[in-house]
Amino acid sequence: MPEALSADWQYVLANACYLGEGLVVTIELTVASLLVGFAAGLPAGVVEVYAPRSERAPVRWLGAAVRNAGIVLRGTPIVVIITLAFFAFGISPAFVAATVALGFRSAAYQTQIFRGAIQSVGVGQMEAARSVGLSQLQSIRHVVLPQALRRSVPGFQNEVTIVLKDTSIAFAIGLAELLTKSYDLFQSVGHTTAIFELILFVSAVYFVLTVTANQSLEALADAVSVPGSEGQ
Amino acid sequence: MAESATAAAPAEGSAGAPWRGRNRITLAKWAVGLAFWGWVLLRWLNDWLGGVLVPPGEPFLQAAVFTGLEAGVPDAIPVVNDALVGLAFAVEFLPRLVNAMWLTVILTVVSIAIGFVIAVPLAAARVYGRVWAVVSLAYVELLRGTPLLAQLFVLYYGLPWLPTFFRELPWVGAGFLPGQAVFVAVVGFTLNSAAYQAEYIRGAIESVDTRQLQAARAVGLDQVEGIRFVVLPQALRYAIPGWTNELVYLIKYSSLAAFITVPELFQAAGRIASQNYRYTALFVIAGILYLGLVITATNVMERVGETVSIPGVGTAAER
Amino acid sequence: MSDVPLLRAENIHKRFGDEQVLRGVSFEMDTQDVQVLVGSSGSGKSTLLRCINRLAEFEEGEVYLDGTPTSEMDVNELRQQVGMVFQDFNLFAHLTAVENVTLGLRRVLGQSKADAETRAMRELEQVGLADQADSYPAELSGGQKQRVGIARALAMDPKLMLFDEPTSALDPELIGEVLGVMRDLAEGGMTMLCVTHEMGFARQVATDIMFLEGGTIVEHGPPEQMFDHPEHERTKQFLERLTTLHGDHG
Repeated sequence: MPEALSADWQYVLANACYLGEGLVVTIELTVASLLVGFAAGLPAGVVEVYAPRSERAPVRWLGAAVRNAGIVLRGTPIVVIITLAFFAFGISPAFVAATVALGFRSAAYQTQIFRGAIQSVGVGQMEAARSVGLSQLQSIRHVVLPQALRRSVPGFQNEVTIVLKDTSIAFAIGLAELLTKSYDLFQSVGHTTAIFELILFVSAVYFVLTVTANQSLEALADAVSVPGSEGQ
Repeated sequence: MAESATAAAPAEGSAGAPWRGRNRITLAKWAVGLAFWGWVLLRWLNDWLGGVLVPPGEPFLQAAVFTGLEAGVPDAIPVVNDALVGLAFAVEFLPRLVNAMWLTVILTVVSIAIGFVIAVPLAAARVYGRVWAVVSLAYVELLRGTPLLAQLFVLYYGLPWLPTFFRELPWVGAGFLPGQAVFVAVVGFTLNSAAYQAEYIRGAIESVDTRQLQAARAVGLDQVEGIRFVVLPQALRYAIPGWTNELVYLIKYSSLAAFITVPELFQAAGRIASQNYRYTALFVIAGILYLGLVITATNVMERVGETVSIPGVGTAAER
Repeated sequence: MSDVPLLRAENIHKRFGDEQVLRGVSFEMDTQDVQVLVGSSGSGKSTLLRCINRLAEFEEGEVYLDGTPTSEMDVNELRQQVGMVFQDFNLFAHLTAVENVTLGLRRVLGQSKADAETRAMRELEQVGLADQADSYPAELSGGQKQRVGIARALAMDPKLMLFDEPTSALDPELIGEVLGVMRDLAEGGMTMLCVTHEMGFARQVATDIMFLEGGTIVEHGPPEQMFDHPEHERTKQFLERLTTLHGDHG
């Protein structure tokens, strides 16, 4: 332990493992929530785009239901959602409650990302697909979605950073993620002065995670991009 | 060819038929909005002025009214019964929650306003500066790349002189002026919001054609005047969707102030729930109140956008 | 030659909002006919084409394909039998040229990947683009894109091909290559209904020219009649103007 560092920094480094456990939970929670959000948000985005124009009334109702659910999820603070999940609806353990809360909230935002991307794929693509004889579902699956997903990358990058930072909200239900662990550390007797160093350290970790995630998604986008489409 | 068709049909749905179709929905929205805010303002004024209509903290309509109604309504209609029972309960706690909502509104409005004042120069620095561009970039990336809750903790627990500074100001915490924690929270939200607003404004400035500024310089305006009188008026209109986003964000994340002891809406709901364990009811009501704030904000900003809109400069559909 | 016309449109009425775009359009096409549809912009030409493959739905009237009303057919089956080529090409941007052609073969006709590719390469050869099979649409010129579009439609073995202003979005020097493909198609016996301004092409290849204005077919007849001695003054004016503007890219 380098002598040159202040006592507070030494405290931080000494507890690096403890914080590391919190970091693992943070990453797990982020990934799980994003997956839930994707699994629910992509179909919801498709529904929001195509259901209103359907000839069948139940399909239109589904579209309206999805849209209203989205409005509620996007208009309610995440702390309220997570508190409802854990304390009110009793979802347990805390990790699952946090995943459900963050996941469905993310789904509501991902719905908008995918909806925008689908709508940005020109209607001519759909018309061409239908005129060859593909059904609406086939057209969506083979022509619209492959293009829409590629266009969703910037919005999705944004969503990743938001979910990553919002895992800190799990503090409200005592889940032992990174911020909660650092809070425990600086609340412990004799070390309340270390708060500044702790938060600085933890913030740096979040920052590195954010940059890493963004760069990875950037690389993924390049790998699957359609040659010649850079102008999109 | 098309003339005869349109000449024959009357101008339906235009200004000549104000209460049809879409305008009925707008009317309904206005009615609900006014009812909501009317009730909220009535509650605030009532309690601040020491109890004009009812004693402070007491509901306008007593719970007994609803339980009485519920007894009167035949049990055959369970939905109505449940709703009335729910209302009877909710009515007891609504005054406290709505009063706490005042802080939510204060936190949001003050933070976004001061944040805006800081954000404009930050954005301008990113676009037009050299050294200042780097400083601005560092600030924005730092504040956007770390959790807001961590930032609040730093300010409240990590800089002990900050709460102390506020506590020692003479009028803080006196009467119904908010206590020191609220001021610290405002500082935190302002700094964070400034970073996000700077990004939205920067994007908006960059949407404005560079030739606009060139034309301004050619007419004789200097750099600052050109930015102020030509670029910004256009950029601010492009920024409206992003700015609305930030407003909604602040309304929701003001709830984090609860974790640095600010008695706003979320904190109030939590405090009541920890005593009577009615978590579901209380947080659903809190959620509805937040939704009310958010929906008001988005609708108001939509009207603002329409009012200031200039043909060809930004669109509401650019989200 | 069968006694039932391949395509029959009967009294088609179509409205967009307040505007009545098609007011009782009727016409017939026999197999191997090449009919050209002309009219000023907004006259409803594209709309009429879209009514035939039901990309647009009409309120009144009926369309018969080989005697069967299209409203009674499964819409996807209808579209297998009627091919469409678009003004904006509408190639599937995320797929290569050959993949654009095989998509319908594999997903609609259920062909295997190998069979589909064989067929697709044959179609691409026909339009002269076999060497660009693995190129993406963004890498192709406008004329090449449109030829892929034609190959894509032809691969489905349609009974009828609809062309919606196929060369209007092309630079002048590229128009010829597309018209060449269309001419070869016509000479090969394909039944074609084309909305186009290319009067040189119409004069040389069309069996019938229809002039659409005010939502109805004002006049129709073989090219010699329409160009040289039309019945209506309006027809004469319009065709003369078109020929002046669009000359001959034949």
